[in-house]
Amino acid sequence: MTAILKVDTIQDTSGNNIINESSDTITIGASGDTIALAGTTVTGITQGITNSQQWRITSAFTVGTSVTDISSNWEISDATGYATIGSALTESSGIFSFPTTGIWLIMAYANFRGNTGSRGVGFNLKATTNNSTYGFVSSAENNNSDIGGASNTTYHSGAIMAMLDVTNTSNVKFRFTVQATDNTQTCDGDTTRNYTGFTAVRLGNT
Amino acid sequence: MNRQTGRPNHIEDYLISLHTGQWFGWSDSKNKIYANLIIHDDSKSKPTEQECIDGLATLQSDYDTAVIKKINDKASANAKLKALGLTDDEIEALK
Repeated sequence: MTAILKVDTIQDTSGNNIINESSDTITIGASGDTIALAGTTVTGITQGITNSQQWRITSAFTVGTSVTDISSNWEISDATGYATIGSALTESSGIFSFPTTGIWLIMAYANFRGNTGSRGVGFNLKATTNNSTYGFVSSAENNNSDIGGASNTTYHSGAIMAMLDVTNTSNVKFRFTVQATDNTQTCDGDTTRNYTGFTAVRLGNT
Repeated sequence: MNRQTGRPNHIEDYLISLHTGQWFGWSDSKNKIYANLIIHDDSKSKPTEQECIDGLATLQSDYDTAVIKKINDKASANAKLKALGLTDDEIEALK
């Protein structure tokens, strides 16, 4: 026989709420409680990560000694085994906009090479919260020695990470800049593998 | 560029040697041929296909010359050290 128990609240013997329903909101437990699911298959819960994607530049370019945006030749990765979760970021002249609000983690990397003189280069992520003024968020200062001889091509890479609270997809945006400190260097890019680019992951709600 | 040797092997190697910044790109980045070369920076002129071919050849020649010079310099240095009386082990220890 099917039994229906009609109540709004179930409490423990001490009078603490275990389950409460009010105005179409069901609250399980209370602050400080531990809710243990013992070997249970849980369904209907929104997955934790709803957006993740990788971008990269498709061509190499020479980094000069003035601050320069990485403003073109961006594409979403299609490297072997790659898959995107969720809607893509949008890119315009190297400025990236988010598809949804939330707390986002940006993990960026760049590969450089050079064969002359001083081989320092900066790789930076700048962000805006008002779609206008960009500030430095994260920087990698890289330097490379002339291992094997002054004219040898040597390689190095830089990695930066940033967490952005995207409260408004029209106002919160980011972009990347590079600058060689003394002599020009090559920033590598390719369309078959990720030399210079970033991974963006939406961690959760803002 | 050959990733193992560093030897230039594509016209992109020549193009990046012309100017700083992302002044060029490819309309089809999976097919980087001259016909797909596009210019992002209007202040930069598009090199001709022949200029790209010749430019790449020059880069390759310069690379090969530098490699040969390095080999010759090494041989010459070893010979001079031997002439000074150093043994092969002593020369190796200096490297």
